[in-house]
Amino acid sequence: MPEIETHDTKNLIIKERSTEPDSRREFLQHLLAGTATATVLMVFGPGVNARSKYTNPADGPEHQYAYVIDINKCIGCGNCVRACKRENSVPEDYFRTWVERYVVNADGVYVDSPKGALEGFEKLNKRFRENIKISRTVPKMCNHCHNPPCIQVCPVGATFKAPEGFVLVDEDYCMGCGYCVQACPYAARFINPVEHKSDKCTWCYHRVQKGLLPACVTVCPQKARLFGDLNDAESEVSKIFEADQWMVLKPEMHTDPTCFYIGMPREVV
Amino acid sequence: MKEPSPKAHFVRLAGVLGVAFVVFLTLKAILVPSSWDYDNWYRGDALELNASYELAYGGNDSCVACHQDTMDEFSQAKHQQLSCESCHGALADHVKDGVKIADAHMDDESRWQCLNCHEARVNKPKDFPQFDKITINEHKELDDEMLCIACHSPHDPTP
Repeated sequence: MPEIETHDTKNLIIKERSTEPDSRREFLQHLLAGTATATVLMVFGPGVNARSKYTNPADGPEHQYAYVIDINKCIGCGNCVRACKRENSVPEDYFRTWVERYVVNADGVYVDSPKGALEGFEKLNKRFRENIKISRTVPKMCNHCHNPPCIQVCPVGATFKAPEGFVLVDEDYCMGCGYCVQACPYAARFINPVEHKSDKCTWCYHRVQKGLLPACVTVCPQKARLFGDLNDAESEVSKIFEADQWMVLKPEMHTDPTCFYIGMPREVV
Repeated sequence: MKEPSPKAHFVRLAGVLGVAFVVFLTLKAILVPSSWDYDNWYRGDALELNASYELAYGGNDSCVACHQDTMDEFSQAKHQQLSCESCHGALADHVKDGVKIADAHMDDESRWQCLNCHEARVNKPKDFPQFDKITINEHKELDDEMLCIACHSPHDPTP
């Protein structure tokens, strides 16, 4: 009968358990030892930060680049926008990097970016200048995501994640369908009106391969833009992970950007 | 007339598929570049293409090659953390193949380049030197058209 069978199974389990010697004492000992070890490691251990997520294994590429934008330092002069235009011959009215001005007052959030801040910013309209809570200029560009949606949608394999962290476009393969332009949550891509190909920030791949910094980083007067190697624990970009105050744009998109922001107000999207 | 085999249409179909498969393999061999990376799904030669673009900005190290004197002076000045090309323009507009092609002067007929960074704005960091004519006594009487560089040295603009 079924009831007797259930009863038998129960007995069997109890019997098996009782054969382990001193199980409660041992459990408490292990718990204590585990707690002590974890405490010691947390206080005196090497420390773990988010950088280790991006660093390459020993047999991987030598560098793993990242970009840092310190909003507290940016003055919105637009030197980066002009340098990017000149370096990469970006057509008029299109931008690989641009600067947005955020003004937060009692009425709401006001954002503008006249000509992508190519000529800096005019004085703010008096209407917005009263009762300002936050006002900051925020440089924007391709975030060179770890998990880029633009690459998933490309039907011809023309955009790709290159070694060392760059997201690049193969101009010979791109046919200008514009799927990647729609897929990018950061509006970093556009179809070049001259070449009719997808165009975006390359972190100045051609400069970095020659040992130079990207053009925007080179000319930034405030050093608000940093570029460096996450594999190198001593680089400037690695240091921001120690302070652990970095943020990324639209984390809810799970794109995992490698363009990190410092001092970004909550209102910035 | 000989009766056709009842399986002839299968043989023909297999023949057509076989030819199509050979054509597919041939086209694939011709069209897929040898540098194609099957793991990361991109053309390896695209890296070379992306690295081949010409440089416009050379960085301060490229200026030192000719302007060592200016640089020695500049490295002590207040604007020392600035890149020369921030104000003077890109190297490629000044030098080509080691020969000077144009002057690299800054815009010395307007105040635009100075005010672009230093005009007072609410969005600028509080510790950044910002020019506000109303609050600086010495500037109250000055003409709006007066150039900043008439009094301030652009390399070392100590007030």
